[in-house]
Amino acid sequence: MVPASVENAPPAVPAACGELLLKLAGISKSFPGVVALDGVDFDLRHGEVHVLFGENGAGKSTLINIIAGTYPADAGSFQYQGQDIARLTPHEARVIGISPVFQEFSLVPDLTVEQNLFLGRELTAGGLLNRAAMRARARSIIRDLGFALDPDRKVRDLSRAHQQMVEIAKAFLTEVRLLILDEPTASLTEAEAAKLFSLIAKLKAAGAGIIYVSHRMREITAIADRITVLRDGRKIRTVAAGEVSETELVELMTGRKIEVLFPQIEFRPRETLLEVEHLTLANRSVNDVSLHARAGEITGIAGLVGCGKSEIIRAVFGLETITAGTIRVGGEAVAHPTPAGLLRRGLCYFPSDRVAEGLALARPVRENASMAALDLPAFSRAKVLQRRSERRVVQSIVERLRLHPPQIERPVANLSGGNRQKVLLARGLTRDIKVFLFDEPTVGVDVGAKAEVYELMKTLVASGVAIVLVSSELPEVMHLSRRLYVMHRSRIVAELTGKDINEPKVLSYFFGERSPEAATG
Amino acid sequence: MTFVLPLLMVAMELAVFSVQPRVLSERNLVNILNQSSYLLIFAAAQMMVILTRGFDLSLGASVSAISVASAMAMTALAAANAPDWLIIVVGLGVGLGFGLLVGLFNGLLVSGLGINPFVVTLGSLNICLGIATTISGGRPIFNVPDPFCHLLYDGRFIPGIPVPLTLAVLVSLLLYLVLNHTVFGRSLYLIGDNPRAAQLAGLPSRRYLTLAYVSCALLAAFGGLVLTARTGSGEPNLGGSLMLESIAAAVIGGISLMGGVGGIVQAVLGAVFVTMLSNAMDLLEVGGYVQQILLGCVIILAIFLDRLRVTRS
Amino acid sequence: MARDAAGSEAQASAFDRGYRFYEAVGFLPIMLAAFLVLLALFVPHFLALENIFNVLRSSSYLVILAIGQMLVMIVGGFDLSVGSVVALTSVVSATVMAELGHSLAGHPGLVIAIGVAAGIGCGLAVGLVNGLCVAFLKVSPFMVTLGTASIATGFALLLTNGIPVYGMPKSYVDGFGRGLWLQLPTAVYLAVAAVALLWVMQNFTRMGRYIYAIGGNLQAAIVSGVRAKTHLIFAYALCAMLASLSGLALTAEIGSGQAVLNPQLTLESIAAAVIAGVSLKGGVGKVELVALGAVFLLTLTNAMDLLRIDPRIQSIFLGVIVVLAVALDELAKRRAAVV
Repeated sequence: MVPASVENAPPAVPAACGELLLKLAGISKSFPGVVALDGVDFDLRHGEVHVLFGENGAGKSTLINIIAGTYPADAGSFQYQGQDIARLTPHEARVIGISPVFQEFSLVPDLTVEQNLFLGRELTAGGLLNRAAMRARARSIIRDLGFALDPDRKVRDLSRAHQQMVEIAKAFLTEVRLLILDEPTASLTEAEAAKLFSLIAKLKAAGAGIIYVSHRMREITAIADRITVLRDGRKIRTVAAGEVSETELVELMTGRKIEVLFPQIEFRPRETLLEVEHLTLANRSVNDVSLHARAGEITGIAGLVGCGKSEIIRAVFGLETITAGTIRVGGEAVAHPTPAGLLRRGLCYFPSDRVAEGLALARPVRENASMAALDLPAFSRAKVLQRRSERRVVQSIVERLRLHPPQIERPVANLSGGNRQKVLLARGLTRDIKVFLFDEPTVGVDVGAKAEVYELMKTLVASGVAIVLVSSELPEVMHLSRRLYVMHRSRIVAELTGKDINEPKVLSYFFGERSPEAATG
Repeated sequence: MTFVLPLLMVAMELAVFSVQPRVLSERNLVNILNQSSYLLIFAAAQMMVILTRGFDLSLGASVSAISVASAMAMTALAAANAPDWLIIVVGLGVGLGFGLLVGLFNGLLVSGLGINPFVVTLGSLNICLGIATTISGGRPIFNVPDPFCHLLYDGRFIPGIPVPLTLAVLVSLLLYLVLNHTVFGRSLYLIGDNPRAAQLAGLPSRRYLTLAYVSCALLAAFGGLVLTARTGSGEPNLGGSLMLESIAAAVIGGISLMGGVGGIVQAVLGAVFVTMLSNAMDLLEVGGYVQQILLGCVIILAIFLDRLRVTRS
Repeated sequence: MARDAAGSEAQASAFDRGYRFYEAVGFLPIMLAAFLVLLALFVPHFLALENIFNVLRSSSYLVILAIGQMLVMIVGGFDLSVGSVVALTSVVSATVMAELGHSLAGHPGLVIAIGVAAGIGCGLAVGLVNGLCVAFLKVSPFMVTLGTASIATGFALLLTNGIPVYGMPKSYVDGFGRGLWLQLPTAVYLAVAAVALLWVMQNFTRMGRYIYAIGGNLQAAIVSGVRAKTHLIFAYALCAMLASLSGLALTAEIGSGQAVLNPQLTLESIAAAVIAGVSLKGGVGKVELVALGAVFLLTLTNAMDLLRIDPRIQSIFLGVIVVLAVALDELAKRRAAVV
């Protein structure tokens, strides 16, 4: 098969803006144990930017993967440019003009930018790679896009933002009729994002259709023509831009009124339990950061992906290499933080990636819940396990957290995202933990469980615990924090309280602008 | 899935019975039981590290080195007319001490430097082989003193039951307790299932990982000493195909290479199965070379089944 | 923005180029050069022409073996069966040639051709089994190749009962195995040709690039439309066939088919690759460096032989070297990650 390239892709079907480029009807898709999509309708017009809006786990990734040909739908019809599409492979999708830009990069770290651009679509001459032609084309694409990329650098040596740019450049290798962007500005600066938006505008004018996945209000209001809200694998509504307010959008996304979703918390801050002073990490993801957290208070840390907020609390827990700064827990300095040491001091970290870092999936709930407390007398004496005691303690905690069903011998792998998070949280209750470090606690958690997690936070705080909440979900971190730190590119740029915690102000700090006036609009 | 293996064993024995009735005779069954006690110790040794997602390639080679080293020490003492008890203590000490060293080498490199266990144990395999052939000059060391052989092989702790079998049972009981009732045992499963999560939960992963390799090597050393008692000589090639057999037995029994799954029951089942298989082949007068081919096929089958088991769950 | 990038790039480029050279080439060539100088100074007879030829000849077999092993390591696996494939090839090719030598006497060319084909066929068969199991059954390559190693060795022993097989055509043994062209053993030319071919493959074909991609990030490769399974199978098959090639050359030189050739071969092939910077995690590896690694290993062995160090102790050395090489690589990676 002749490799796809601009020269031999089929000619663009001349279309008036407004006609249907893509029409999906009744799309359903299931994975083992999970219904990802349930009878979803979706259409895209030529020359429009259609935003896919929804929480993690709502089905957005599945839908765009189906459109990009990564896997087929289980049911439903798929029409592209007026023609029915039966079985689509990623390669064919690109040939017909569907260009996806995924959130998890499809880049090979040890290959160069140029090699990654052409992966799967190399230009050949007489059976061998035509390196000269590829180099020329790579440079011209990069130049046209206006990105500052060196085609000969290995992708592993690039910053996350540059990697994102390579991912975007990949999409522009072939002629683009349908561009799919999945949270593309997650790591870009304001200037780079603006460049992307002007590219999108150009594509619109040329009649291409763009599917844009995001839950950044600011972007959505800026570029969306239509917005489709997905929740729990179903399409809730498709609205035209400006038709609904931001609050209504969030409510459509979560299915709940905002006031009901987030509990009202009475904060009574007391002694300072955690102090971080002038913290700098070896990989420079955190520079000269100082913050503190108090008992009876929720301290939030907000910022763009990659700004370093997760790294701060990971460093406190001993998971990152520290080159400067001090950490004080309960007034005592901790010289070389380690997870075991900090757990003993009453501090617990709850990782964002539960599967990779938090849970032993094949092991039962009981073992996962007690994992961090095996040195305590309730669980072992002289290194011999006290299994009856363990069962009793874990059972009561699990009931308190309302795990459904409350069976502690089930392997964690069989539990939903929300239940898995509860098992992880149970760890904080097996020990005398005074400082909870939450890293994106409600990612992949269904709405019902989310509300329960927030209730738990309320209860903990009332009992005198200090909570540090790191979250990329702006509504969450704004509604729950009493004090909110904002991070930008490895530094803290603001500490907000009370009425200052509002979206325009917080966002202005996200992008590094100091004056809130510049952020209006 | 847990009943597949016992059923398979029964099926296999019945199939062989139709050709060679001797296979189900009391004498042969007892023979199988006794024979599997050796492999059980080695399969249990491998189990300790396979649970943590590792494996020990040096298992056979370390057995050879221990056999030779302890035999040499004991024969030297015997020649010097040392008292029996000293000979036994030194023999055991040299053997277990060497095992400890190998275990520490493997464990510290795997846990401390994070090097792939394959490379580390491949390295220690070669080192042990080199030591074995160097010490022995490539020839067996005969006349291992009787008291030693009596203790670990001929003698009887319980009348009627050979020592190796008693020892295998004791080892099984001990490991059952360790794996199910100690923090160390629990940690092995957690580390094997998700090493990163174990670390974040404050478990002393490095220490326990090293301990896993040390226990593996010590068990292997123990098995090596028993084998030496049985042959009555220090053999530089005693380890032979033990590495393959021990891993095959563990995996076939149900100890998953992905880590975190399996226990002593699986090790026992696997050891008995592999022993039954080679017993059947011996009775059917299948040549040694063909047995080797079959062992390879069995390994591939075992890992395929292991994979199926994992994907199904 | 673009101008900024260009300006800072100009400044950084000098340092960048230097670092990239080191990154690309590693410290192996430097170490090898330094090592050679040391040996030339301190080991007697090292620089004798005959000795150099010896080293070149023995490294040729390992070079061919190691570059095959590299392929499998790049896609993220191991091939523990290469040693057994060498043995099996040796035995099968020799047996076939010996048998046909009687029935087709007078057509030595044909006998050799069929014998060679049979030998390479062994490699192809084992490689396919390895590749199919890894690609379709998705089982651990380490275990599969351990299994096929057992099977292949078993077959080799079964065919010969452990007794060497004689009777290969004289022209094969003298002309190919022990012949000299331009003062160099034919095996050297074979090795050079193999390295050259693989070099072209790695740098100038899609196949080569896809092998890197699969090893570097399998998911990314699949999503980009690379047919992962096909290339995986190809890598294992090619590795085993290269092992066969090495086996054929060795057999020709020894003059008889042997089921028990050097038992260290598998470890040596991995050692050569690891020393040359091939990562155990996959995605990285250059054929020219692996060839150097093989030469380095054999130079070391040669030096130890000349210094009359016991071969049994040499095997201990080998084990230590492999572990050291990997440990150093691991430590270097950690330091780099911090920077």
